[in-house]
Amino acid sequence: MIAKLKICGMKDPLNIRDAVALKPDYLGFIFYPASKRFIADLDPVVIRQIPLPVKTTGVFVNEELDVVKKAIADYQLKAVQLHGQESPDYCRALSNDAEVIKAFGIDAAFNFASLKPYEDAADYFLFDTQTAEHGGSGKTFSWQLLEQYKMDKPYFLSGGIGPESVASLKQLSDHRLYAIDVNSRFETVPGFKNIEELTKFKNHTMSYFVNEKGYYGDFGGAYIPEMLYPNVEELRENYLKIINDADFQKEFHALLKDYVGRPSPLYLAKRLSARYNANIFLKREDLNHTGAHKINNTIGQILLAERLGKKRIIAETGAGQHGVATATVCALRGLECVIYMGEIDIHRQAPNVARMKMLGATVVSAVSGSKTLKDATNEAMRDWINNPVDTHYIIGSVVGPHPYPDMVSIFQSVISEETKKQLLEQTGNDQPDYVLACVGGGSNAMGMFYHFIDDEKVKLVAVEAAGKGVSSGFSAATTYLGKEGVLHGSRSILMQTADGQVVEPHSVSAGLDYPGIGPQHAHLFKTTRAEYVSITDDESLQAGLLCTQLEGIIPAIESAHALAHLEKMTFTGGENVVVCLSGRGDKDMDTYMKYFGL
Amino acid sequence: MNRINQLFQEKKNNILSIYYTAGYPGLGDTIAIAEALENAGADILEIGFPYSDPVADGPVIQASSKQALDLGMDLNLLFEQLKELRKKVTIPVLLMGYVNPVLQYGVERFCKACAEVGIDGCIVPDLPMVEYEEFYKDTFLENGLSNIFLVTPQTSVDRIHKIDGLSNGFIYLLSSSATTGQNLQVSDQTETYFSRIAAMKLNNPTMIGFGISSKETFDKACRYANGGIIGTAFVKSIAEGDIVENVNAFMQTFRS
Repeated sequence: MIAKLKICGMKDPLNIRDAVALKPDYLGFIFYPASKRFIADLDPVVIRQIPLPVKTTGVFVNEELDVVKKAIADYQLKAVQLHGQESPDYCRALSNDAEVIKAFGIDAAFNFASLKPYEDAADYFLFDTQTAEHGGSGKTFSWQLLEQYKMDKPYFLSGGIGPESVASLKQLSDHRLYAIDVNSRFETVPGFKNIEELTKFKNHTMSYFVNEKGYYGDFGGAYIPEMLYPNVEELRENYLKIINDADFQKEFHALLKDYVGRPSPLYLAKRLSARYNANIFLKREDLNHTGAHKINNTIGQILLAERLGKKRIIAETGAGQHGVATATVCALRGLECVIYMGEIDIHRQAPNVARMKMLGATVVSAVSGSKTLKDATNEAMRDWINNPVDTHYIIGSVVGPHPYPDMVSIFQSVISEETKKQLLEQTGNDQPDYVLACVGGGSNAMGMFYHFIDDEKVKLVAVEAAGKGVSSGFSAATTYLGKEGVLHGSRSILMQTADGQVVEPHSVSAGLDYPGIGPQHAHLFKTTRAEYVSITDDESLQAGLLCTQLEGIIPAIESAHALAHLEKMTFTGGENVVVCLSGRGDKDMDTYMKYFGL
Repeated sequence: MNRINQLFQEKKNNILSIYYTAGYPGLGDTIAIAEALENAGADILEIGFPYSDPVADGPVIQASSKQALDLGMDLNLLFEQLKELRKKVTIPVLLMGYVNPVLQYGVERFCKACAEVGIDGCIVPDLPMVEYEEFYKDTFLENGLSNIFLVTPQTSVDRIHKIDGLSNGFIYLLSSSATTGQNLQVSDQTETYFSRIAAMKLNNPTMIGFGISSKETFDKACRYANGGIIGTAFVKSIAEGDIVENVNAFMQTFRS
């Protein structure tokens, strides 16, 4: 979560019911009689009935301690927010009864040092616009003043936050920002909230992850024809239940360990570190069975397909890495496997085609359209339309209709989960300064980012393929060249003509040669949570050679894009930088040989 | 009342709807084909606006889309061509295509343009019902457009009722879960599915499509629904030669 949400100033029972359905983290009720939003004679039952996780919060101004305690008991309040000149001792006196949020009005004259005595007395601070009436002004204060706040205590941000604040809130990157407190700017009349506006606000502002409707902010959803609806709906209804099942987790992790060879090492690359004046850690997904991160996802999905009773597996592949990873798990579990691959890619990637065949898969040539990954994906979707009952489609990236992007990122999240542990062991700190990964559809990047996304201290860098240059007409730099639209079942950013026809991308690395990015990436891009940059074919091949010669590791050209960006960064020394080495370069030897005349 | 509702009020059986791709086989053929089809006895027209990645379509319609795109068809040109539509054609006309070109054109602008040239409805297979209901329905209705939803043998009863409630033209029954251009085989299962839908007594009329290519399969469709929709077989028949002759020859088998 970017931050938690508190909706304050509720008093109408029906409006309260609608607000509770939104599941805000805190729901506030004003117990201060001078307020326009005073609850007055609201039946305590209405508040008592509100279930957790919504924390009901009473707002008081210089009230008698006994009155507050009685209100906590009568209304079963989970938190109190103190808006007057309550002392630290007063706060402490309530700390056994409820969470204590101490509010302060902020203006240019506010002395942040005066908070010190409250540090041990309150659970949270709340910073509101300074007014004579103890808040409720509907005006924001200058958030720049918060730069003077030096303590670690997490805080609520309050005062005049409205629907139009979304953009500026997304600019805030303060890890102490615990919750956003909204009130009058979402009201039609005092005490009555506009639920529609609040819903939009919550969905757009509050999370980097998928919401109940399958969206990441403006992106995601399931834009699929009715023929695919039952398949996707079956998956949507079951994926979290299956993944969270203990038996599934046990089997998944056992296979990751004993079959894939996880955990993959986090390797401090000393000579690269010396070159860049930072601690460069390589997350060695290249050491996985089949040579890339793709297998993390195919293991997860094949176990899921089995639990859904599916007998036949289909997949699309570009370079063949996902195809090989899929054919591998199908061989492992004895399931029928059909891989769709563009006719052009079949010729470019002959060794991987042979691997898939040896593993028992049928490789079907996609001869429509541009005859590459995008068309292989179309053909796989057509297969699924024609075989709706017994077939599971293993999508290889964080693309496709909801729940695919979420499901694939969950399976790939093992990358960042391990990285955090390994960093802690190796450096004593599980927060790196930077995390870098390449992005085609974006599955290794999402796995590498996953457990760092909510930690705003960690800078996320996604590296796209610029091909022959972003302006050359031969590029796959989606965020640079693309616009919002729908491709392969989800709303995201894609390269397209003004008329909405999908444009053919170019990259020297087949794994990045895709005209879109996953919807969560589009959200991270739009919210500026992650930085999206691009690297040309030439730069990536040079970086691949450099890594080979300095560290004795031949990276996949995809991963070499992430490495190449290190050349463009400046470090002051001592920063911890993790680069996802998503795959090994064996499959790319032909390209390396031609380029370097080896 | 728009032309679709009018038609279904006046005619209950053997309704024939024909799909073809705008700008195919020649970029300027869109209106000529419409006119020829009406003269030859078609009841409804579905004009496809081409898309680069038509996942619900088989090879024939995909190839026609690609040819039209290569020739330069896009929504701007199509609406320009359709200014002539209502001078020549009186039967209901739908536009059919994928959601991304509509989003790029602008949903509101698209609906207004449809209304201006006399389009009666749309079929956008990859526009989800929930998005339609939440964001687009009002714009469609304001412009007098029917949105046609698809139903497959796997669509649940609850969902069919929901679709019926949101529909205001007809419901497009897929003969099977398939891409376009395959042969309708009425197995016991299909028959059960068609009968099940017929027994639901939906508010909207139904038309069966996907896999209807001959008089025989059309007649089968008409047994279970108000009519049938032909796409691939027609697109194939106009690939080469004179438009009017091809249309007449094709339609003769259905209207004899």
